[in-house]
Amino acid sequence: MPCYTATCPFCGLLCDDLLVEAEVAETGGATLRPVQGACERSRAAFAKLGAPEYAVASARAAGRPATLEAALDAASAALRQARRPLIGGLAVDVAGMRATLALARRLGAIVDHAASRIKYRNLHVLQEAGWITTTLAEVKNRADLLVLVGDGWHARFPRFVERVIAPETDLLGDPLTRRIILVDDTAARAAAALPQHFERLSLNAPTSALPELFAMLGAQAAGQAVDPARLPAIAAGLLAQCAEWLRAARYGVVAWAAADLDFPHAELALQALSRLLRVLNRTGRFAGLPLAGTNGDLTANAVHTWQTGIAFPASHANGRIDFDPHRYAMDEVLARREADCLLWISSLSADSAPPPCEIPTLVLGRADIELRTEPEVFVPVATPGIDCDGHLLRTDKVISLHLRRLRSGALPSVPQAVDALLKRLG
Amino acid sequence: MLTKLANAVVLDPANGVNEVVADLFLRDGRIVPPPVGGERVDRVYDLTGLIAMAGAIDLHTHIGGGKVNLARAMLPEIDRRDALPATEVCGACVGGAAPSTLATGYRYAAMGYTACFEPAMLPVNARQAHMEMGDTPLVDKGAYALLGNDDFFLRLLAGGAVQAEVNDYVGWILHATQAMAIKVVNAGGISAFKFNQRKLDVDDPHPHYRVSPRQVIGSLARAVRELGVPHPLHVHASNLGVPGNVESTLATIDAAEGRPIHLTHVQFHSYGTEGERKFSSAAQRIAEAVNRAANVSVDVGQIIFGQTVTASADSMLQHRNARHARPHKWVVMDIECDSGCGVVPFRYRDKDFVNALQWAIGLELFLLVRDPWRVFLTTDHPNGGPFTSYPHVIKLLMDRGFRNDLLAAVHPAAAELSSLQDLQREYSLYEIAIMTRAAPARILGLHDRGHVGAGAAADVVVYEPDPDPERMFAKPRYVFKDGELVVERGEVKSVSWGSIHTVKPQFDRGIERKLGDYFARYQTMSMASFKLGDDEVRECGRAPGLIVHPCQDSIR
Repeated sequence: MPCYTATCPFCGLLCDDLLVEAEVAETGGATLRPVQGACERSRAAFAKLGAPEYAVASARAAGRPATLEAALDAASAALRQARRPLIGGLAVDVAGMRATLALARRLGAIVDHAASRIKYRNLHVLQEAGWITTTLAEVKNRADLLVLVGDGWHARFPRFVERVIAPETDLLGDPLTRRIILVDDTAARAAAALPQHFERLSLNAPTSALPELFAMLGAQAAGQAVDPARLPAIAAGLLAQCAEWLRAARYGVVAWAAADLDFPHAELALQALSRLLRVLNRTGRFAGLPLAGTNGDLTANAVHTWQTGIAFPASHANGRIDFDPHRYAMDEVLARREADCLLWISSLSADSAPPPCEIPTLVLGRADIELRTEPEVFVPVATPGIDCDGHLLRTDKVISLHLRRLRSGALPSVPQAVDALLKRLG
Repeated sequence: MLTKLANAVVLDPANGVNEVVADLFLRDGRIVPPPVGGERVDRVYDLTGLIAMAGAIDLHTHIGGGKVNLARAMLPEIDRRDALPATEVCGACVGGAAPSTLATGYRYAAMGYTACFEPAMLPVNARQAHMEMGDTPLVDKGAYALLGNDDFFLRLLAGGAVQAEVNDYVGWILHATQAMAIKVVNAGGISAFKFNQRKLDVDDPHPHYRVSPRQVIGSLARAVRELGVPHPLHVHASNLGVPGNVESTLATIDAAEGRPIHLTHVQFHSYGTEGERKFSSAAQRIAEAVNRAANVSVDVGQIIFGQTVTASADSMLQHRNARHARPHKWVVMDIECDSGCGVVPFRYRDKDFVNALQWAIGLELFLLVRDPWRVFLTTDHPNGGPFTSYPHVIKLLMDRGFRNDLLAAVHPAAAELSSLQDLQREYSLYEIAIMTRAAPARILGLHDRGHVGAGAAADVVVYEPDPDPERMFAKPRYVFKDGELVVERGEVKSVSWGSIHTVKPQFDRGIERKLGDYFARYQTMSMASFKLGDDEVRECGRAPGLIVHPCQDSIR
């Protein structure tokens, strides 16, 4: 049975040390089984890719099986009729996004990623204040204090602990002793994943208290008087110890997944965190580590940003490009009925389905995508790193990896499907 | 197809041609000798009275990679004010302080530039840099890989590695990142900042590795030389922007020990501490050192008054300068035991003493360095200002009256401290052609670029003579890229994607044993994932034309 070294496309860590076995069926497709390196989440995602039939899945139009050509004809007819199309989802790799952008220009479409509301929590702070951030290898080799927000560092990025927090060796010679501060009360279950020998402090803060917590720590670090009574959720002694650990760190890192900060105006917490980091860097070294990159959120946004000069969500209408995080946000556009056709592109995850909406919906998606309603057109597409080669950006936005095809199949890649649409649109 | 550019006034310094009326013939992307025996000419452009030169080459412009993309994402309020609507051939995009890749390509080409070199490609970010450059239309691209702050190299040096091993590593990096040259930024300083060091002078030991910037520069300059890489070690010296940094700049020249060295954006490194404000011009001292030392070349990094954004790998100095950010937001990153970056928006003001003196220092350097083959026109785009200001800078160099009128309008104390008023020199058109075409091609080792002799790439720019050089250089009549007409009267007429330029010196692949182990133990991707292959860069860099320039035979 052939066995390949592979890079896992299923979360923003892009672990490149997987060994994957391919059991080739007579139909030409293959069942892929990671035998080394894959986390639970990755193994489940590989399992879901399923049997070889996946690789020869059928397109559908108007709810009935259709040839690929007929489905693309139907999709291009719907797009041609649309006066204000919306392209959403965008779980794509670099080539997929390059093709999607060409289509967005041709159609004058609004473009948004499925997770852009989450992404905007970080982007908003970047555009208002900025950051001091770091990358995985710096954390692995240098950090002596990790402040972990939420539980996404384990639940959403299962190998973060093994690969980054608790490596066997570190670069600077003496073995690092790490201290860990667990911020939220949600972290209890994830905490079991941490090595026991790291000194640990649990603040047990409710997530909604994060803005006040970071603001207070920032003020304290800046030498201002603070009144711990104003933050009753955290014991005064714990807060003082936390501040002391921050002060004593040689290289501290605060890691968070914006998806965990699911409360109104979560950006306020990150704004306060940004200030805390700036203050701590006046005299010491401290950096943030936003965890993201799953389902192409960073990749699609990076390509959009470099080609057009602006981030998501954006409008390409009238031969112009415009960024507006509120006006062009997908859910708002749908709620205000400002789009008359939704093209959903999702080649990485089976869970990323289009939101229910009343306008014609066309899907270029994974063959096993879980759709809540039958779209007007469905075109199964190849998954980068599984059925075709691809490039994805890792969580730290610095590293991008080349993912190789692990099996052959008849599915078109997103660029192939989109180019076919463009050809039909003329 | 054979194209004839008839009766052009040709300026081609690489071939010693100065305003000679001649015909140029283009075929299959190349300049060819005049046809013999009545070969049919398919297309003729009558260029009577017009000036023809090779396409211009920018050897230092930040056009792609993570830090540039951060700057784009960070500044929508500035960049959106400068929207480029779609045309029949161009996609809608924005320019501004950190222009999109599309705007970058369109605007460079519209100005007659046909090749641009990204000078600060972090090896770990090489893949993305090439993808961004791949989406930059109309110009050829190449990149300089950043070394000198990466832990692998600093460990080699600290462990007393022999030069041959350093050379192998440098050769490996050039291959693995598909680079054109090697650059060092604040040697050792970016790494030292991660250890909470805020300043590192040329002879200071690194807080952990105990090696000095002098050792880093000496070792890398030697590696580049011994590998036969055409472009000298490209150096962003220590203490950027710090008053008194002239001393570290001179020490950096010294550290090269006579080997070729290119000092980039030297304006930011030519500051003294004289006067009431403890900030003065040291352009004279730097220019004298450059004039004396034939192994040294410089580009200026002229500042331009107005809004821009600075994007640099120099996290140590960007963090120090962040307090000057306008608008007040900034990003600093520590990157992957490899390097760093800092993105700080800036607004240079002519009524600000420091900014005005920086402006004057840049011009002093242009005028005081005598050899136009060793001083290059850059604004360190976007750090000193946008590349679109090059025609304006050319006018400042060619027109003393214009220069002095502007000098009279800047902060008076700065004008008084500067020697600019007394500098009589005006660049000739021929000297401009040297510094923007012939010389960058020569110092990069691009034998078939920067000139219009037979065999060269058919990158040709045609200008209408104008008493106002700013107007003339801003809007060429025609630009031909690889023989195709891509720009007419400053407007993009068709879009192509250019080539990637690289070098691939010989080295001992045995270094991969050590590197493989290093990646497995300390990095967060494998050595195989790090390497960018030829096929991959052709595809993701959108460049079927991957051009490998020869290295000189090893002189080891």
